[in-house]
Amino acid sequence: MEYPFWDIPLVGGGMLIGIIAILHVFVSHFAIGAGLFLVLTERKARREGDTALLDYLKRHSTFFILVVLVFGAVSGVGIWWAIGLVHPTATSALIHIFVWAWAIEWVFFVIELLAAFIYYYGWNRLDARTHETIGWIYFAGAWLSLFMINGILTFMLSTGKWPETRSIVDAFFNPTMLPSLVVRTAVTIALAGLYALITASAEADESLREKVVKYASKWVLVGMTIIPIGGIWYISRIPDQAREISMGGAPVVTLFAAASIIFSAFVFLATLLGPFLFPRRFHVTFAFVIVALGLITTGVTEWVREAVRKPYIIYNYMYSNAIRAEDTQKVWEQGVLGSAKWALLTEEDKRNPLAMGEKVFRFSCQSCHTVNGFNGIKFAVKGWEKDFLDMQIQKLDQLKGYMPPFLGNEEERKALVEWLYSLNNPPQQTAARP
Amino acid sequence: MPVVVPPPDPAGLPAPAWLLQILLVFTFILHVLAMNLLLGGSVVLALSTWRAKHSEFCAKLSQRLSRALPVAMSLTITLGIAPLLFVQVLYGQAFYTASVLMAWFWLSVILLVLLAYYGLYLVQFRPEWLGAKAGVVAWISALFILAVGLLFTHNATLSISPAKWAEMYAASASGLHLNWSEPTLIPRYLHFVVAAFAVTGLGLMLLATGYRKTDAEWSAEATRYGLRWFVGATVLQFAVGLWFLVKLPQGVMMNFLGMNMVDTVVLWAGVVLAVLALLVAQRSAIGATVLVALTITLMAVTRHRVRQMFLGEHLNVNTLPVNPQWAMFVIFAVLLVIGLAVVGWMVWQFFKASQPQQSTTA
Ligand code: HEC
Repeated sequence: MEYPFWDIPLVGGGMLIGIIAILHVFVSHFAIGAGLFLVLTERKARREGDTALLDYLKRHSTFFILVVLVFGAVSGVGIWWAIGLVHPTATSALIHIFVWAWAIEWVFFVIELLAAFIYYYGWNRLDARTHETIGWIYFAGAWLSLFMINGILTFMLSTGKWPETRSIVDAFFNPTMLPSLVVRTAVTIALAGLYALITASAEADESLREKVVKYASKWVLVGMTIIPIGGIWYISRIPDQAREISMGGAPVVTLFAAASIIFSAFVFLATLLGPFLFPRRFHVTFAFVIVALGLITTGVTEWVREAVRKPYIIYNYMYSNAIRAEDTQKVWEQGVLGSAKWALLTEEDKRNPLAMGEKVFRFSCQSCHTVNGFNGIKFAVKGWEKDFLDMQIQKLDQLKGYMPPFLGNEEERKALVEWLYSLNNPPQQTAARP
Repeated sequence: MPVVVPPPDPAGLPAPAWLLQILLVFTFILHVLAMNLLLGGSVVLALSTWRAKHSEFCAKLSQRLSRALPVAMSLTITLGIAPLLFVQVLYGQAFYTASVLMAWFWLSVILLVLLAYYGLYLVQFRPEWLGAKAGVVAWISALFILAVGLLFTHNATLSISPAKWAEMYAASASGLHLNWSEPTLIPRYLHFVVAAFAVTGLGLMLLATGYRKTDAEWSAEATRYGLRWFVGATVLQFAVGLWFLVKLPQGVMMNFLGMNMVDTVVLWAGVVLAVLALLVAQRSAIGATVLVALTITLMAVTRHRVRQMFLGEHLNVNTLPVNPQWAMFVIFAVLLVIGLAVVGWMVWQFFKASQPQQSTTA
């Protein structure tokens, strides 16, 4: 509420971030696992003297470069871009709390990128030992940058002792940091295998194809076995209310949480019954089916992870609508529009409840609701009379949806009621127009 | 309309403002060097790919440049992350606000970069497949990169114009504003673009030295070609720079014309170094590069000063609360040194093994 709010019609900011984030997660975790895959498989190929396998790896690494260095790096910056636009106050908080953690992550990222280029351009140039060392450096850089970013991301859902101590150590080594690291590491292994299934199934040489398909499918199975173990540990460490949301508190979220488990099982079974048992018959179309299942799993899981954080954007510290929990009293006294300077409230607005109500909506609700699109408020209040609206808004934090309390004053609440009511019951003069 | 500036983040600065400003300006210089090679290089790539059929020199130039440009793109992005971090720490109040006002355009930067990047790889990996269309793809990449630069200039100028924000936001919250009304916009943008061509000229001269033994004739021609870019752009830059200077608000401009001695010396020393670079470029590309790097350093400091002057007391970083995290800073500094050593080692290994080896499978 300290920053101007970007009004994105129909879709809303959350969805915008979600789309970029899911694609990025799917690629960036592959980026890490693929580092391990490349260097371990390179060693295996050299030990076995398998030139065909080595040649496959060279081709696979071209694919790796095009996916990881380009899409992974650019979409990663893209998330940062998007959260800064949609949630500037929260982004500013994360940046200020974790400046040096971000800076350290950047150091690892620089190492990772340069190592990737040198590994790729060094296939025919470096001797075997140096080349493998560069591969290990790549993997170390990539995994360590995951280590850093994981500490910051998990903080958003489980701030642990930080709200009291305000210590960076408590913030970074928060309750879900380790379990999440285990899950994400397992995801990197599974994704490395998944992507390798694509490139392997496109190979022409039959015996090579069979060998790599079988080998890559083991990566998927190992990763997919570790994920649920880490996942249970992770769920046991998230805040109680967040767990409640995922387990029945909010039906949609519960549905998605179940979908996440079901699709993970699909990935596991499809890999087991396809490439693992019948590598010879494995086809590139089937590879894409498994990858699609993997993408859906990633999508719903990330969605659940975002959804259970409600009503907060940073747990116990800042609500989704950018009001800090500790400022609740102050906002309560000054009103929403008195606190949100960017509402740019004019004298004219004060005389016009509809204009005022819309501004109240923008700065207290629009971070989660659009007007008539995704989670649209117009449909949520359809058929509600003014008295009922007024009553519901006063106990917003007890309604379904896990919302923050409404902190506007009486005048603002009345204005919001008027505006909400007008969405489904247009005032006479506008209704009369064609 | 009132001037509305968001309040500083209550977490405070994680280090004294002077240290963060040094880090901001220093990492910005690194980013700009890579960006210059990318921006100028992509235009030269487009020109040479376009003419590849008619000139052997251009064909080789296109092929040799196309291998370097994706690396330049990657470095530009990677080295851009650090100043992006520090600008959010120091000037987040201005940066987020300006970005929200131009949100859709700002977000489009990501898409433009992505497409330009894939375009560059396409030209590198699949020139035969593209055939005559390689020139078109290279031009699209170059134009996208030029457009990204312009959007950055919009963002940078809007970030330092707090007086415009409230009126813009009152007019529309849809994130569709740009800063066309800014008098310095075009000269400021051209100032960066022309500098990029000059630096690219030097880059071409350095690239040419790598082929001195293997392809002496091409190397000599590429050196002359690079020199022409460098000299032409630098001479043009004197005019563009002057244009930029006179478009600055009176109060800001006068600081660089003697009102503030330090600012004046920093700016004009940068100009003098550029003149010196012109004089030595023919004899020593490396000498000229060092001089130009110094010019860029001084100009980056000047750019930072312009930001401070524009923002004035609306956002004075020296008055922000400070809540230092020294232990974390030390870990960062140590890891940075180790990281640079690792990077140095890898690059050294790569260039040491300059003879491509036969496939080593044993
Ligand atoms: C933290 C995000 C968030 C914020 C902020 C938020 N909401 Fe909601 N709201 C939700 C979610 C999620 C739902 C549930 C949607 C569903 O179940 O389909 C919801 C549901 C609702 C409903 C329907 C409740 C019911 O019982 O059917 C109303 C009315 C509503 N919100 C009004 C508001 C108003 C008014 C504001 C601003 C004062 C607001 N919300 C702020 C997330 C939010």
